[in-house]
Amino acid sequence: MYFHIILLLLGALCNKLSISERLHEQIYSSIEGGAACFRRLNGSHQAGCSSANNGAVGVVHFVIDQTDANWLVNNASAGPYMAIVSTMMFNQVIDTFLKQPGNIAGVLLFHNSSLGIFAFSQDSKCPNEYFSGPGSTCSSTESSASVWNERGSNLMRQDIPFPIFFLPESRLDEIKKIEECFQRFNRDIDNQNGRPLCSVQMHSFMFAAVDSTVCMRRSASSALITSAKVCDPLGDHNVYYSLLPLSKDTKKQVVMVTARIDSASLFDGMSPGAASSAVGMVTLITAAATLSQMIPAGKTYDKNVLWTLFNGETFDYIGSQKVAYDMRHGEWPSVAPLGFDDVVLYLELGQIGGSLLTHMEDDDWPLNIFAPIGANNLDVVSDIVNDMNVNLKLFNMSLQLTSTHNLPPSSLHSFRRTLQDIQEEKYGKNHSLADVNLDNVMPQMVLVDHNDHYTNMYYNSALDEYSKIGFDYHNISIGNDGTFISTKDLIANGTMKRTDSQVKISRLATAVARTLYKRVVGESYTGNVTASAHLVDEMLYCFLKSQACRLLLAADYAKSGSGEENLPEKPAPLYVGVAAWPGTAPVFAGHLLALLTGTHLKANRTQCEAMDKVQYSYYWLRGWNHSGVCIQTTMNFSQAISPAFTISNYDFTSGEFSTWTESVWRELWVRVFVSAGGGGARAAGIAGALVTVMAAVVTYWLRTRARYIFVDTPTGSLVSGDAATGILRTVNC
Amino acid sequence: MTVAEFFSCSLLAFGPPLVMFAMTVANDPVRIIIMIAAAFGWLLSFLLSSLIWFAVVPLRSYLAFGMIFAVIFQEAFRYGMYRLLRKTEAGLKEISDNHEIGSNKLEMAYVSGLGFGLMSGAFALVNVLADSIGPGTLGLHGGSEYFFVTSAAMTLCMILLNTFWSIIFFNGCDEKSYLKVGWVIKSHLFVSALSLLNSKGLYAATIIPSYLVLIVNAVVAFKCAGGTFKSLTQSFTVRS
Repeated sequence: MYFHIILLLLGALCNKLSISERLHEQIYSSIEGGAACFRRLNGSHQAGCSSANNGAVGVVHFVIDQTDANWLVNNASAGPYMAIVSTMMFNQVIDTFLKQPGNIAGVLLFHNSSLGIFAFSQDSKCPNEYFSGPGSTCSSTESSASVWNERGSNLMRQDIPFPIFFLPESRLDEIKKIEECFQRFNRDIDNQNGRPLCSVQMHSFMFAAVDSTVCMRRSASSALITSAKVCDPLGDHNVYYSLLPLSKDTKKQVVMVTARIDSASLFDGMSPGAASSAVGMVTLITAAATLSQMIPAGKTYDKNVLWTLFNGETFDYIGSQKVAYDMRHGEWPSVAPLGFDDVVLYLELGQIGGSLLTHMEDDDWPLNIFAPIGANNLDVVSDIVNDMNVNLKLFNMSLQLTSTHNLPPSSLHSFRRTLQDIQEEKYGKNHSLADVNLDNVMPQMVLVDHNDHYTNMYYNSALDEYSKIGFDYHNISIGNDGTFISTKDLIANGTMKRTDSQVKISRLATAVARTLYKRVVGESYTGNVTASAHLVDEMLYCFLKSQACRLLLAADYAKSGSGEENLPEKPAPLYVGVAAWPGTAPVFAGHLLALLTGTHLKANRTQCEAMDKVQYSYYWLRGWNHSGVCIQTTMNFSQAISPAFTISNYDFTSGEFSTWTESVWRELWVRVFVSAGGGGARAAGIAGALVTVMAAVVTYWLRTRARYIFVDTPTGSLVSGDAATGILRTVNC
Repeated sequence: MTVAEFFSCSLLAFGPPLVMFAMTVANDPVRIIIMIAAAFGWLLSFLLSSLIWFAVVPLRSYLAFGMIFAVIFQEAFRYGMYRLLRKTEAGLKEISDNHEIGSNKLEMAYVSGLGFGLMSGAFALVNVLADSIGPGTLGLHGGSEYFFVTSAAMTLCMILLNTFWSIIFFNGCDEKSYLKVGWVIKSHLFVSALSLLNSKGLYAATIIPSYLVLIVNAVVAFKCAGGTFKSLTQSFTVRS
């Protein structure tokens, strides 16, 4: 008796909350911060990963080297397995897994920079190969051909039969958690059968399958049964800004300067795109801002500059295809539609971030212009290259001209394809001079930082982060009126060095702006306006490290209420996303262009919203001192949705326009747990059968022999049984 | 492997009571009514003890506190069942086709005890069984993969104990023998207190004494029902 009480007290003392935890939480541990590989589809294929509807379960195995991978696919017997792979090993082992996927339940990829890595790209060797313009020779199938993205594994365009999750370096703790579990349960790899094993479950079920045609049909037709959408077309918005107001009445010749906004990767929400796209976009915005300061206000010229940022270029040039298509039909820009003949020069700032890291120690940033040169555009192109060279030489940077029809992947391909189409329509398919004429319509140039192969080893990958362009944020405050410290002063006071990426980008922007100034005004620039490395520093920080940055706070919409909505402290995803959900990156880019180049009017909010000059747009932004400012700008947005989705009855297999769609999914998660070895089930099964049979025998015996066994039976009921006899018999109740 | 675990654990915990139900209760509607009523009584007792647990906020995190109240309420409702059955005995006997039903006074006790036990067993194990479907089992944060088996075995033990306790309790009440009633309450408290050790992973320390208590209770209940060792041995020799 006392024993019980003591036991109770003991129990009361030491059991505080220990088992009030749910059993579920003791069995499973969720792996947080993982980014899933998801499914995209085009006109003929599905690409990416999907788990089964209820997730994929596999035994954990750390793949340290190729022998582990071989063991997994050939010898491991307690499978299927979840391979835990570092980014360093990924390219090597994924081929092994894809060849024999039978024993692989999934792959958990983690990044640990201390293991070292020098190349990581899941895009094609020839990005957007099948949407290249005439003259392109890059081929990912012929092994002898020279390819742009040498390190590309093409995984992003492949159908992967198992789910993959990516854990960024900030989540290495989760890997440690799994490794502890692995060491405790799975160490003895020869005797894994029938033992409790550390396992991982991945859930990334994708609703869409087969190809875009099928999934778009399912999304549209399922309304009768269920109204579930299974895929969405990729798309977002293009941004354009003209130096001088565009107008229908006074048509001007236009210089188009373009860059792309978007990047991508295999994994959801992990597309930093630093070297792939951000440097080009930042250079364009900075150059646009600089040129707008160089040109005296109020003057008119007979040439205009149209700065354009294309979105969705990673996926078969969605943005530029739409613009080229609309230009062909006289619909872009909507204010004053341009024809191809109006474009006197097309200059694309392509992928220029790749070699910044290799030239961290010197002033140089070797640039290359690819241009298809014909007899008629030779003058224009060489003029521009000469001007650029002169301007860049001032800063010890160099520029090279490559005359070729084999252009690197760029938005220009969309225009060239459209031009070729027009030519073919005019002269018939076999017109032999089509190619030559193509170059004559608008002189075309693509500025890149590579020759035959990309210098960017992380093209369109999850690892293409700020560190890959050697970016180091300086965090210098901006003046209340939006003045930035000039590059010259920054170098003079030692804040920045000539070798810094910011300085190089600002100098390239200056060179571009000065070259264009000469095209527009007709004479060389003599003033002292230059692009500020300070501005570049801030802008790179906004796009690569945190949206909660000075520039974006100033360029955000001013809210009517007093409550300031904070922007998240992570970079805006540069992935184009689905057209149904507008992304933040193009909005930020557009607002930055408006803020940096637009006229700041003295007007309050209501006056600002009431203004309606056709050539301009009006934005009420927070402004440099966050009190709200009315901006009159020629910046505008246009749709970046592939014409494939707007043309009725478009044949998705024709290969004319981008047909990429993204699958819908419900949830993405990973969890780690120990899977049963079967000992418990066997014990319970045997014990259960035994006791059940025993209970049956005993019950049977006691029931049939009750008369003999329970001889001492207590006497029957206390009440005499006859009291109510016959009463209840007569009623039905 | 885990679906097998679900079914084998269910078999272990609910196989014997199900067999007992099928062979002794299922053929008589009145017994089924009594069993369901007892199961409902157990639910009510649990509702009340959970109210107490909920109301006394400062002690909410102490399992032992709630456990003591749960035991007290269960025993109180067992007494309530006793009073109820003795009051309604005549009527029940009347609506039953089986006039044999009252021949052994403790038959009602056995049936209501089985109802009590089944409901408490269901409550104890259903959550655990739901997690046993998998794909995971205990082990990541400590705990062994035998957790589900031991839970099922413990549940079986509680179901059978409740059956025997009801027999002893009813008999004690009939005979005004406070020793028997006291024994039931004390052994109930003892077994429940033992189960607190589960959180420490000391499954053997819970299960072995619990089954010893079960054997003792089985013997006592057998005696209460009028059986003797002699009659048992005799039953093997006589032909029925």
